[in-house]
Amino acid sequence: MPTDATPFDYEAAVLACARGERYALRALYEREARWLLGVAMRIVRDRERAEDALHDAFLQIWQRASTYQPALGSARGWLYTIVRHRALKDVRDPGRLQSMDPQELATLSDARQALHDEAGGRGLDLDGLERCLQRLEAPRRACVVHAFVDGLTHEQIAQRLDTPLGTVKAWIRRSLASLKECMS
Amino acid sequence: MIDLSRPDERDAAAGEYVLGTLDAQDHAAVERAMATDRALQAAVYAWQDRLLALSARADATVPRPQLWQRIDVALNAPAPAVRTEPPRPPWWQRLAPWQGLSAAAAALVLVLSVLLVQRAGVPEGARYLAVLQSPDRQSTGWVVEVQGERLRLTPVGGTAGVPAGKALQFWTKPQGADGPTSLGLVAAGRVSELPVSRLPGIGPQQLFEITLEPEGGSPIGRPTGPILYVGRSVAL
Repeated sequence: MPTDATPFDYEAAVLACARGERYALRALYEREARWLLGVAMRIVRDRERAEDALHDAFLQIWQRASTYQPALGSARGWLYTIVRHRALKDVRDPGRLQSMDPQELATLSDARQALHDEAGGRGLDLDGLERCLQRLEAPRRACVVHAFVDGLTHEQIAQRLDTPLGTVKAWIRRSLASLKECMS
Repeated sequence: MIDLSRPDERDAAAGEYVLGTLDAQDHAAVERAMATDRALQAAVYAWQDRLLALSARADATVPRPQLWQRIDVALNAPAPAVRTEPPRPPWWQRLAPWQGLSAAAAALVLVLSVLLVQRAGVPEGARYLAVLQSPDRQSTGWVVEVQGERLRLTPVGGTAGVPAGKALQFWTKPQGADGPTSLGLVAAGRVSELPVSRLPGIGPQQLFEITLEPEGGSPIGRPTGPILYVGRSVAL
């Protein structure tokens, strides 16, 4: 088992899950649950629902571990996608979709952000992405951040930025293309 | 509606899939396509890693202690959507696969050891035999013979085909070793031979196994796929 003294091997843990080794799922949970729950909380904005999302996501991680392809990318990226998509499913559910108060939306983007050194300690490489994000114009950068961090739809971002929907869609596409080029 | 046949659309779709801005229909379309489209899968994985650092913008929230208990209970629940296998230690710590060879396998060991002795004539060097069975011990797939400086892996019984994009990889782990060592890829239904010097060692009770791995073999130097056949050597 990895300890704090050695970098946590996310890939090995997911591959162990694929072999049915339950301790590996527990190790992933112990290591990452607080960050994953934080990500889910930002999207669903409710503790009960965020914990439900994380619960379901961990069952999916267990069930889908054998589909993880270590040659294609990091296990951590794979984990966050599962958790974020489960949380997004919750807020996109037509039964739960509610129009958001613009004031509430405005406070979301101003929420305190985790410190860089904290992220560095988790082994996340912020510099590359942040440097490239800073090269985008502020409203375009906001589109990407609102979509990823706050889980907003095109429509919600358009409302938030008071910008036409078609413009928001085009900005997101071009921002992603710019990020890809900048980070390559 | 996205058009995944257009190259420029594919990468944008992969990015927006990860970002979460595709509508439900397009999101599902990307997920379906990924199951068979490895290039699209690779694009999605690349976007996962590019955008991962954005997750640092969310503050940590410590889950309540009951959350893991709920997950643990759900994992044990006999719901069809959830795996119901009990937790298992790593394969090389499990006794079950070699706790008792089936009667058929035991007979095969006997027959092969006789054959081996006959073929060998004058014995030279150490001789070992391992019968590799499916983990459920319902079928025997391969026999490992070690004589002197050569190891010979012989298929026995039916030769099930290997799925496209997959390969069979042969591993061994001497007693006391930390983990298995790859002995390379083997062709289904074909005899493979290799020098014993390729092994980290050879002795009785040594584990041998064949796992299903991606084409080209495990990318990480350890088994990643399911164990197809496994067994332990006996000294002759």
